[in-house]
Amino acid sequence: MDVLFLLIPLSVLLALGIIAVLAWAVWSGQFEDLEQEGQRIIENEAEKAPGEPQA
Amino acid sequence: MQDAVLSSCAAFSGASPLVAETASRLAVFDHPDEWSVFSRPREDACATSGLWESQLVVRGMHCAACSLTLEQALLGVAGVISARVSATSRRASITWSAALTRPSDWMAAPNSLGYEMLPAADAFSSDSGREEARLALWRWLVAGFCMMQVMMYAAPTYFSSPGEISADIEKLLRWASWVLSLPVVFFSCSPFFGNALRAIKRGSISMDLPVALGIAMTFLVSTAATFDPLGWWGKEVFFDSLTMFVFFLLTGRWLEQRLRQRTAGSLDQLMQRLPGSVERRQADGRFERVAVRRLRPGDVVRVLPGEAFPADGIVLSGDTSTDEALLTGESRPVARASGASVLAGSYNLLHPVEVRVDRIGNTTRYSRIVALMEQASVEKPRLAMLADQVARPFLWFVLLAAAGAAVFWWRADPARAVMAAVAVLVVTCPCALSLATPSAMLTAAGRMAQRGTLVRRLQAIESLASVDTIIFDKTGTLTDAHMGLQSVDARAGVTHVQALELACLLARNSLHPVSRALVNASSLACGGAVSQSVSEVSEFAGQGLEGRLERSPGSACSGKLRLGSALFCNVDEWPGDDRRVYLADAQGLIARFVLGETLRPDAVQAVAALRAVGIDVHLLSGDREQAVSMLAERLAIGNARGHCTPEEKLAYLKGLQGQGRKVMMVGDGLNDGPSLAGADVSVAIGSAVPLAQARSDFILPSGQLGRLPEMLAQSRRCMRVVRQNLWWAALYNALCVPLALAGYLPAWASGLGMAVSSLLVVVNAARLAGPDRPPALLRPAA
Repeated sequence: MDVLFLLIPLSVLLALGIIAVLAWAVWSGQFEDLEQEGQRIIENEAEKAPGEPQA
Repeated sequence: MQDAVLSSCAAFSGASPLVAETASRLAVFDHPDEWSVFSRPREDACATSGLWESQLVVRGMHCAACSLTLEQALLGVAGVISARVSATSRRASITWSAALTRPSDWMAAPNSLGYEMLPAADAFSSDSGREEARLALWRWLVAGFCMMQVMMYAAPTYFSSPGEISADIEKLLRWASWVLSLPVVFFSCSPFFGNALRAIKRGSISMDLPVALGIAMTFLVSTAATFDPLGWWGKEVFFDSLTMFVFFLLTGRWLEQRLRQRTAGSLDQLMQRLPGSVERRQADGRFERVAVRRLRPGDVVRVLPGEAFPADGIVLSGDTSTDEALLTGESRPVARASGASVLAGSYNLLHPVEVRVDRIGNTTRYSRIVALMEQASVEKPRLAMLADQVARPFLWFVLLAAAGAAVFWWRADPARAVMAAVAVLVVTCPCALSLATPSAMLTAAGRMAQRGTLVRRLQAIESLASVDTIIFDKTGTLTDAHMGLQSVDARAGVTHVQALELACLLARNSLHPVSRALVNASSLACGGAVSQSVSEVSEFAGQGLEGRLERSPGSACSGKLRLGSALFCNVDEWPGDDRRVYLADAQGLIARFVLGETLRPDAVQAVAALRAVGIDVHLLSGDREQAVSMLAERLAIGNARGHCTPEEKLAYLKGLQGQGRKVMMVGDGLNDGPSLAGADVSVAIGSAVPLAQARSDFILPSGQLGRLPEMLAQSRRCMRVVRQNLWWAALYNALCVPLALAGYLPAWASGLGMAVSSLLVVVNAARLAGPDRPPALLRPAA
C-alpha cells in the first residue's frame, strides 16, 4: 500500500492539471456556441456555394 | 386609399425595397471616421496590414444553419479575412482588410440571401458581459471537478471499518482533500463572500451571509482538524460536504444565468430603430448622406419612404403619412403634411419629405419613452429583495443560535462549542431553504420554454401565480400585426371571388400594404389562379392603381380598371371608419373591400379561458376609441380604453395596483414599455420591439395568446411545489436545529442531513417537468 503515498499526491497534481485544461477551454471560447459547431460538421462542403439560402 | 397602411409596415420597411438606396446607405460606413463606431483595428502580428475587426447585428436569422450560410457569403467577398456569425447572439464578427475592401462591399453581400447586417452600435461593450459569463462557467467547472475528486478522497473513510485505513493514509487523503478544496473556497466561492461583504457594508444581511459563514466555518474547522487532529475543534473534516454544497449552489446560479442570457431580448437592436444615416441638405442645396450622430438641430434632412425619421422635427416640404404604431399605438398611418411634426423612430410611408430637425438624441419623444421605462423598472418592487426581507429574521435567528450555542458550550467543553456552532450553521445551511424556490422555478421555466414561452426573470413566476388582473394592449398583441380582408361587397353579377381576382390582378403590381393584403386574401380565396390579365398598369401614389383589362369571354367587367380610394375610382364614399378600398371599371363600382386588423386566432379563447379562472381582463390602447371598443366587444372585455398615451397606461396600471391588485401587462410596442416595466408581471409578444422585450418577464415568441392560461396554471403549480419545499425545509430545520444546539448532532450527520434535505427539494421540483420527461433542471440550457 506504500504506493498510495505516491499516487495520492499524483492524483492531486493531475486534478490541478485538468483544472488548468478547463481554464484553457473556457477562456478560448470552447463553450461559447455549442449548437452551431455541431451543425458545422454536418454541412456538406460541396453544397456550401454562396448564394444558396438553405432551408 | 393609398395612405391605408398596416402597422406592421415597421416590420418590412426596415429592409428597404429600394436596392439602389441600400447601396448609398451602406456607403456611409465606408468613411473611415465611421469605422471606429463598430470596428477596431486588429493589433496582432501584422499591424501594418490594416486589418479591422467589426461587430454587426444580423437581422433575418432563424437557426444555426443560417449562420453558416452567412459566413460562406461573407467569406466570398474579397478582402474578408474571417467571418464568425453566432446564431445565439445574432452577431457577426468580421475581420477585413482595409486595403482590399470597404464595409459596404461585405455588408451588402448577405442582402441577396435575405439577411441584413447593421453595425452594432455598442460594438465592444458586450466584451465585459462575455468575460463575466466565462468566469461564472469556470467557477462552476472548478467547483464541480474538485467536488468529484474530493468525494473520491472521502469515500474510503465512509466505506471502511475503523482501523482499516492506516492513520498515515487517512492523513494523506485529508491533505489531498484540503488542497483541492482551496480552489473551491477561494475561487469558486468568491461571489458568495463578495456578496455577503457588500451586504454587510450596506448595513443589511443577505442570503449569502450564512452561506459564506457556513463555508468559512466549515473550511476553517476542517483545515484545523486536518493539520492538528488533536485540537479542541475535533478531528472531523467536511471537505466533501463543503464542495458538494458549493457545487449545488453554483449549478443553480449558473443555470439561472444561462436562462436569462438565452431569452434576453437583444438591446443591441434597439438603436437600429433609428436609422444609421440620413440625407442632409448641404449649404449648396445638394443632399449628402451623413451619420445620424452628426445631425444638429436646425439641419434639414430628406427622409425617403420606408425610412425611419432620425429625430423629432417639422415637415418642411412634402406630404406623406407616417407609421407611429410602435410609439403611440395608433394603428392607422397618420397624415403628415408640411408644417406637421414628426417623431423620431416613426416610419415615413409614402413620399420623400424634407424635415427640419428640432430635437435630437436624448430630447426626442422616443428617448423620453425609453427613459420612462428605465425609471418604471427601477421602481418595480424587487422580489429578490422581498425574499431577502422574509428570510432576514430566520437568518438572524440562525446566526444568533449558532453564536448562542458556541457561548453556552464554551464553558463546559470548547470542542463541543465549535461543533455545535458548525452543526447549526451547516444543518440549517441555507441549502434546502435557498434551493427550495430556484429549483422549482428553474424546472417550471424549463417546462414553459418547451411549451413556447421564454422566461426572462425567474422570480416573475412567483408574481405570475398571484396575478388577478391582466391588461392587454391592442395593436400587435390581441390583433395580428398584418392587415386582413374583412368583407367584400360586390355588384350584382360579380362573385366575391371574381372581384378579388380582379383586384389581385392590379394589386400584384404594388408593394403597398393594402395591395399585399388583397393579394394574400385572393390567394387564400382562389389559390392565386388567374384567368385574366391586365396591361398598362400604373400606380398613382396616394390614390390607387389603374390598368387595362384584357377582354376575355365570360367576364362581367371590361376596359379600364381602377383600384383605390373612392375619389380615384369615381364612386361614392361609403360612410364608416374602416379602411376601404374600391374597385371600379367604366360602368362604375365593381366591389368594395373592407380591410382591418385581424384578431389573433386564439385571442377569443384565451381571453375566455382567463376570465374562466377568475382573471379581470382590461384593454388599453393608444388607438382610436371606436376601434378599441369594437374589439373589446368581440372579446367581451368590459374595461377598455382607447387614446392612451404611454404615461396614461402606466397611470391606469398604477391605479389598479393601488387597489391591491396584482397586474399582468401583455404588450408589444414601445408605447407599452413603461407599463410593461411597471407591471407586477409583464409579457411581451414575440414580434415586440426589442426594448419592450428587454423589459418584460416573459416572452411569447410565437404570439400564441393561448399560452397565457397555461402559464398561469403552471406558475400556480410551481408555487405549490415551492410551498411544499419551504415547508419541508422549515420542518427539517425545526427538527435539526434543537438537536444541533444541544450538541447531539455530529458534524457528519448534519452534513448528511443537509445533502438529503437539498436532494429532496430538487427531486420534488423535478415533478414540475411533467411525468414523462427528465427533469428540465438537468437538461442543457442551450
